Amino acid sequence: MSVFSDYAARVTQPPLDGRAERFDEVVRPDGALRRAWRDFAEVAVSITDADLHRVHEEIGRSLADDGVTYSRPGRRPGPWRLDPVPLVLDHDSWAPLEVGLAQRAELLNAVLADLYGERRLLAEGAVPAAVVLGHAGYVRAVARPDAVEPRPLVLSATDLGRDATGAWRVLGDRAQAPSGLGYAMENRRVISRVLPELYREARLHRMEPYFWALRSALLQSASGDLADPRVVVLSPGTQSETAYDQAFIASTLGFPLVVGSDLVVRDGWVYLRGPGRLERVDVILRRVDAAWSDPLELRGESRLGVAGLAQAVRRGRVRVVNGLGAGVLENPGLMPYLPAACELLLGESLRLPAVPTWWCGEPDGLERVLDLLGDAEPPLVRTLDGTGPDPATLDADRLRELLLAEPHRYVGQERVPGSQAPTWRAERSSPDGGTVIPQTLTLRTFTLRYGSSYRPLVGGLASVQERVGAPSASSKDVWVLKETPAEADQGLAEVLPMTTGRAVTVAVPRVLEDMFWFGRYAERAEDALRLVLACHAHVEASRSRPGSPGARALEVLLGALRRLAGAVSDDPDDELRSVLLDTARTGGVAQALAALRESLAGVRDQLSPDIWRAFGTTDRASTALAASRHSHQVEESAGRMLTGILSMQGVTASMIRDEGWHMMTIGRSLERALQVCALLSATATERRGIDVDREVLNAVLVASESAVTHRRRYRGYVRPGGVLELLLMDATNPRSVAFALEEVARHLPALAASTGSTRPERLVAELSAQLAATDVAALVAIGGTRRPNLEAFLDSFTGQLVRVADAVAELHVGEGPAPRPFGALALVDSLEPALEPAGESP
Amino acid sequence: MRYRVRHTTTYRYDEPVTDSYGVCRLVPRSLPWQSVESYAVAVEPAPDDLAHEVDHDGNHTSYFQVRTPHTALVVEGSGVVEVVAALVEDAALARPWESLRPLVEPRADGAWLATDVVLPSPLVAHEPAAHAYAAPSLGRGRPVGEAVGELVARIHADFEYDRTATTVTSTIGDILEQRAGVCQDFAHLALACLRSHGLAARYVSGYLATTPPPGQARLEGADASHAWVAVWLGGDRWLALDPTNDTRADERYVTVAWGRDYGDVPPVKGVIFTEATRSTLQVSVDVAPIA
Repeated sequence: MSVFSDYAARVTQPPLDGRAERFDEVVRPDGALRRAWRDFAEVAVSITDADLHRVHEEIGRSLADDGVTYSRPGRRPGPWRLDPVPLVLDHDSWAPLEVGLAQRAELLNAVLADLYGERRLLAEGAVPAAVVLGHAGYVRAVARPDAVEPRPLVLSATDLGRDATGAWRVLGDRAQAPSGLGYAMENRRVISRVLPELYREARLHRMEPYFWALRSALLQSASGDLADPRVVVLSPGTQSETAYDQAFIASTLGFPLVVGSDLVVRDGWVYLRGPGRLERVDVILRRVDAAWSDPLELRGESRLGVAGLAQAVRRGRVRVVNGLGAGVLENPGLMPYLPAACELLLGESLRLPAVPTWWCGEPDGLERVLDLLGDAEPPLVRTLDGTGPDPATLDADRLRELLLAEPHRYVGQERVPGSQAPTWRAERSSPDGGTVIPQTLTLRTFTLRYGSSYRPLVGGLASVQERVGAPSASSKDVWVLKETPAEADQGLAEVLPMTTGRAVTVAVPRVLEDMFWFGRYAERAEDALRLVLACHAHVEASRSRPGSPGARALEVLLGALRRLAGAVSDDPDDELRSVLLDTARTGGVAQALAALRESLAGVRDQLSPDIWRAFGTTDRASTALAASRHSHQVEESAGRMLTGILSMQGVTASMIRDEGWHMMTIGRSLERALQVCALLSATATERRGIDVDREVLNAVLVASESAVTHRRRYRGYVRPGGVLELLLMDATNPRSVAFALEEVARHLPALAASTGSTRPERLVAELSAQLAATDVAALVAIGGTRRPNLEAFLDSFTGQLVRVADAVAELHVGEGPAPRPFGALALVDSLEPALEPAGESP
Repeated sequence: MRYRVRHTTTYRYDEPVTDSYGVCRLVPRSLPWQSVESYAVAVEPAPDDLAHEVDHDGNHTSYFQVRTPHTALVVEGSGVVEVVAALVEDAALARPWESLRPLVEPRADGAWLATDVVLPSPLVAHEPAAHAYAAPSLGRGRPVGEAVGELVARIHADFEYDRTATTVTSTIGDILEQRAGVCQDFAHLALACLRSHGLAARYVSGYLATTPPPGQARLEGADASHAWVAVWLGGDRWLALDPTNDTRADERYVTVAWGRDYGDVPPVKGVIFTEATRSTLQVSVDVAPIA
């Protein structure tokens, strides 16, 4: 059955619950398709539930392959959700919105400049002073009449919802650090891939030119007339809810993604900390909330900010986008006064109406809101800046109390129904895997100062919600159709795809650290997987022939695994399963993968997005393993995880050979050497009888990916000397310790802080010399049932390798101490008993 | 009166500090009743960056960065100030206090500016207990000068000066419960009382010149930073009162800076980068009358 015919039939039924009708984005009240859908109705109408089910599954895979995540406040990152059916708007209905959004951004910019400068709005009473001065987003540290930025607003976002007549109403503005452009772009990338026919037919505005315009706008926003400004994206880190969005923007625009500790203020200028050198930063695209941006003048406990940043901003030596004070625009209390502000500052009437809002600090507003509280559809009560208890969770009596006690802190807003649009709902029981139902949506739009005017993104990010104001359940791509095929995408024919602007070449210590751990965890995961596979190969033998050499070999191999990851279960299958799945098991595969993902998240902007496909593969393998109790699934899933990990090497092979790449190779080589030593000391230092030893050594060769080489070199004759020769000494075997040390020695000099005589370089040279001087014949010497020389050698070597790794970390990624407020250190022997001010006149 | 003022803050650390950023508010304001003849801020070790500005509230601020590794940081403000007692018109003091509430009459002259110090601030929450404490002094239609004067007198009488009673994290509620505190606490309490009734009032930081007991010499460096409040009287008129000593701020009071509460005007604050775990702080203030 056609999805859209079904849907049309469904939504044109009179509503049963008697609720106010909502505007439908696809179907007119008479059951016909809206104009936006009519042009490609033929393709649209042919879509079935089964098609959408397939598309929905493909979207899930695509987003997982790209590693797109979103974390709700206080939760772990979860997958980003995207509905298969886009929101489609035709040219005629978009055009007035576009004009309204441009005007709104211009107005918000003027309001911002005024509130931090002349303050005409407050002095003339167009906006009550308490609305602005009582808002946490009003940053006094940058409110200086003499130091005001002329164009404080570069990028803003406005959320819109439709009223019952279908007119768009402003729900709120985002100006502090608007997020979502990256998600919008990703949505488009995925939808164009999974709905190619529809996408081709639709003649919609492509988004790429908007990113070029954003890049150029950021470069232009540098103070003064810099020929070659440097731009960075300041992120609160990988734990941020929109970390993906930030990294996407940074890598799409080609600007480095940095965190507060990567930047430092000197003489009022901001610099990016490189190893041994500083590079000046001219523009900061800020994704850290203003309050956390400078521990010196704003929140003192902040570790996310840059000490002295507010000072640098006031001196005009760095441009922060959007300015530190922009959060004041997110204040819903401003909404009732924007029409007057528009008249005063722009001399125009405000085009885009907001949802009716009343500030309770005015007697009329308070009375109105109190009146409406008793209604069936009571207004949405909000605090000006989101501080204090969430009014949405309180009953009418408690609300009344709060409103009367501190009316100036609250606004009441009429609720808009929002529009509805067909949305896929997966249902396991349904024959087609789900069905399309009408769901409420709101629209996030973006506006950018480009050249001398403001340009809205022709498109946006639609959010699917239970009701307007509820948390977002999913998102939709937004298609705005062109009037004629010849129309330029985004109306930006003249933007050059690549505006000049130097790429920052400095690898900051934090990036080097993440790359180092990327190398180490990738190797650790790979080695653990190979060991799991080697173990599993003996599980069946151990079950059917207990006590056989194969069964005893399994014990030894599991012992090696437990040395790495501890013991959890006596049952071999359960043990292997837990190593693969349990993220809390330190040293296990799941934990290494999680840590790997974490390191990569910090350097997402530096890597090809293909790297995330590897996790798509490993995630699906874990899901399959968790769903099946069969023993063979352990092997199957471990094998697929290994494929995923190995595919990363394909991605890193095409990386630029910068310091990060060298650091990753060093990490991987050191980890490999450590893993070989650990494996050998768990397996080869004890004699267990010739048959068992042969089984064990064979498995060791398999687990260290050297079985084939060994067979070719030693014709299948497995003895300890040959194995040690191959895994320790043979510098032509990429799996050997000797090879790993050569790699480390080769890549260390490429790091900026290396001089040829640094401690890591000295330690590695010494280790290589030690290894070269070691005689395998002496190592295999027997003492009772053990090989004491080998044991001692591996112990000492492991200790020295750890020392090398520490030395590398200390020299190349040491970041120095974190910032602390003057008063934060423990005060001892204070000569003054009290902190000032104190004192009483006699 | 003319004073030579010296305010020295010394931090000592057990390990070197490699980078230190600071902001200080040490230079007194120039006011109709206070003229700053000369004033300087000195930082030791010599700062690599030193910048002077005027902040949101019109206070003089100095920003510095010291990159010389150091185990002691000295910040000193010193200079000569002349102060006379500020004149407050009787007519302004006679207005009923209810007519001076900026949130009730936002269009009154100067009300929009005074709004900044009637709203709750980070260190001065609107405590119902403070509202109740102040209520007896704010009878209906009472002249503002009289009402506020009585409130300040009551705080002086009901609360004990005790350096051990409160800490920097004490809240208005703690102070009310302890019935004790230091000048900063009494100022914050007075602000909470006034603001919860809709009056606008500033936190003022500065110095109080002390007179030695008869027959004893003035002890150098024995003075301290002080804090008091200023209540809005309409327009740009303010009445400065000291709840710690139950007196108007007269020619003995050197005004350095004002804001919503202590958090807006600490004399010295900063951020350091160090491996040090312990530090000591020494503050010495000297306000010497000169001819």
